[in-house]
Amino acid sequence: MSRRDDTPRILISQAAAQRLAQSISRRRFLAMSGGVAAAAALAACGSDSKKSADTTASSTASTTASSSGGTGATTAPSSGGGGNVDKNLNMFTWAEYDDPDLLKSWGDINLTIFNSNEEAIQKLVQGGGSSGFDMVVPTGVYIPQLAKADLLLELDKSKIPNFANLDPAYANQTWDQGNKYSVCKNWGTTGWIYDTTIVTKEIKTWADFIAAAQGEASGKTSVLDTAPNLCGMYFWANGIDWTTEKAEDLDACEKFLVDDFASHLKAFDSYPGINLTQGNYALSMVWNGDARQGLIGVQDAGDDVNQYKWGLGAPETELWMDNWCILKEAKNVDAAYDFINFILDPKNSVTDLAFHGYNTGIKGVEELAGDVSFKDMIFFTEAQVATFKSGAVNSAQDRLVDIYSKVKAKAGA
Amino acid sequence: MTIALDAPAGPPPKRFRLRAPGFVLAVPSFVWYVFLFVIPVALVIVNSFGSKVQGTPGKVDLTHPGLDRYREVVDGSFSTLLVQTMRTSLLGTVLCVVISMPIAYYLAFKVGPRAKVVVLALLMVPFFTNYLLRTLAWKIVLQPKGFVSNFLQDTHWFTLGQALRSGPIEILDTRTAVQLAIVYNYLPLMIFPLWVALDRVELHLREASKDLGANRVRTFLQVTLPLAMPGIVAGLVLVFVPLSGDYVTAELLGGVKGNMVGRAVADQYFRAQDAASGSAIAVSLIISILVVLGVLAGFFWFMRKLLANNRKVALVAR
Repeated sequence: MSRRDDTPRILISQAAAQRLAQSISRRRFLAMSGGVAAAAALAACGSDSKKSADTTASSTASTTASSSGGTGATTAPSSGGGGNVDKNLNMFTWAEYDDPDLLKSWGDINLTIFNSNEEAIQKLVQGGGSSGFDMVVPTGVYIPQLAKADLLLELDKSKIPNFANLDPAYANQTWDQGNKYSVCKNWGTTGWIYDTTIVTKEIKTWADFIAAAQGEASGKTSVLDTAPNLCGMYFWANGIDWTTEKAEDLDACEKFLVDDFASHLKAFDSYPGINLTQGNYALSMVWNGDARQGLIGVQDAGDDVNQYKWGLGAPETELWMDNWCILKEAKNVDAAYDFINFILDPKNSVTDLAFHGYNTGIKGVEELAGDVSFKDMIFFTEAQVATFKSGAVNSAQDRLVDIYSKVKAKAGA
Repeated sequence: MTIALDAPAGPPPKRFRLRAPGFVLAVPSFVWYVFLFVIPVALVIVNSFGSKVQGTPGKVDLTHPGLDRYREVVDGSFSTLLVQTMRTSLLGTVLCVVISMPIAYYLAFKVGPRAKVVVLALLMVPFFTNYLLRTLAWKIVLQPKGFVSNFLQDTHWFTLGQALRSGPIEILDTRTAVQLAIVYNYLPLMIFPLWVALDRVELHLREASKDLGANRVRTFLQVTLPLAMPGIVAGLVLVFVPLSGDYVTAELLGGVKGNMVGRAVADQYFRAQDAASGSAIAVSLIISILVVLGVLAGFFWFMRKLLANNRKVALVAR
């Protein structure tokens, strides 16, 4: 015997049919979620194919860029890799730190962001060298720690002919003598930015900064999300060397920050520039380039830039330098060398500088930069540079982080 | 288990039989469980008894195991943070239930089969949207110079002589912001189990309740709700547990005031490079969650007993 139709037919009342339809809908829900998931997967595939189309576009762009660079560049553009390098890199770096168009003109760079040097080191160490990154951009003082963990490749300078373009003042630093592992990406300093409609008294020193945070900007203040910067603020305000390892200095710092400062904080934010100009903070400790990006944002929106005021930390403040490093386990070493050489070309360096707003340390970059906006926030006078002090990763480091954790916990309580 | 082929009586030829014991099917999940859950969690627990090797990126010294890290958690401000996190999570879970119940009820009993598909799709679209993206949306909404803030201050819209507010809204970077976004983010995880639970309550039991003279409210409280209880408890657990460990929401919207324990754990690992303290905080969080769940379980058990004792008619378990 055979059935003609596989569909079962039931004779029931209309009300029962309605009920049956409702009970089926739970199964239909599952089917539908499956359907939506499949659609999402398809959409993802769609964006993938779009991305690969972009890559093709960017690789054509890079060919045109390199050919034009060949005719226009003042220094020899031929690098160790020649033109046959597969221009593909995985880079571990800070947020908003390079001009995306410039990177695209070189090749295909996949950026992964970290928020602090400690975080970067932790992730690289835990990856055991197989984290998949080719390059990392650490701050100078952390390079010894990275080198000790055997994570960095010793650089072959013959593959970076453009290294000669770097101002000797920014080469051969104490934390990496002879540029064994690193090449200067750019350097910067720390100051503050505030909304003059809320903070009416002018801020001239770190002591003023602290007073404003405790006063007019109480509950509307952000500080950089790093332990040395948080404690540095106290040391600079009180005339103490910020690389101090003395227990009494550190104790005093902890006491002040936890008891008298933490409760006035709104956030720990390493990139407060945009946030402040959107009204989230009234006063922020900020790196010069990020403050500049915030002000450019205000300018682009057609608002009044004079509402916000940038100030350089005084009487002393930070000098930091971030660096290009190649990881020992890098898969694309030749591409990494080629990229470092590319970015050390003065023309490319200036393009990047106009984006991130930090001095790249290339010879004559100030003249090349022309009338780039907010120039006084990138280039500083000799008198100003004399007040910049380099930090250190020393025996106090763990204590600083401990203070930072306590301030964070107290601020939230 | 044998499969009868078109063969005469008697066992089929041996070489055609799959002789693997039944538990083989469970091996993949067992491996998954051991390698991705048991071992990592055991390592975290072991690390929590150690201490940081100073000056190294996250090495743990286990030569002198002890409870020092836990003592730091209890003595330090982390215990305050733990309590605050539990409070945010409990309040968030309760808000989720309160908001979800009418929606789930509507979905289970009031919507026709066709409209149900539409409503479910509407609920699922945000649920399938990237978590980070949804949280960032709150950042835009809550901004002091954002459109909500501007709208509330706009005197043209509120012509009652005064704007609703004199200044911009100041919610971002507070616990309120985290609370709002957390409820929003976990709402679907509550609605779906509640709906399934209510959907399983058979219509004729509700009809019987009505026939026996109970009004709508009484039917809901005495018939629908008790029958849906297992689903409600599932929803509570499904929301409360991940919510307590939430890290992204606090990171994006919390500032310093709206901190959560998950963020403190991440800070210990990535900032302090102190895996021992991070592990101790993480284990403390797990213990806190278990304690809260235990207390809740006890409460529900007590309520059941109380209900059963006060019931006039004995219910026969099916």
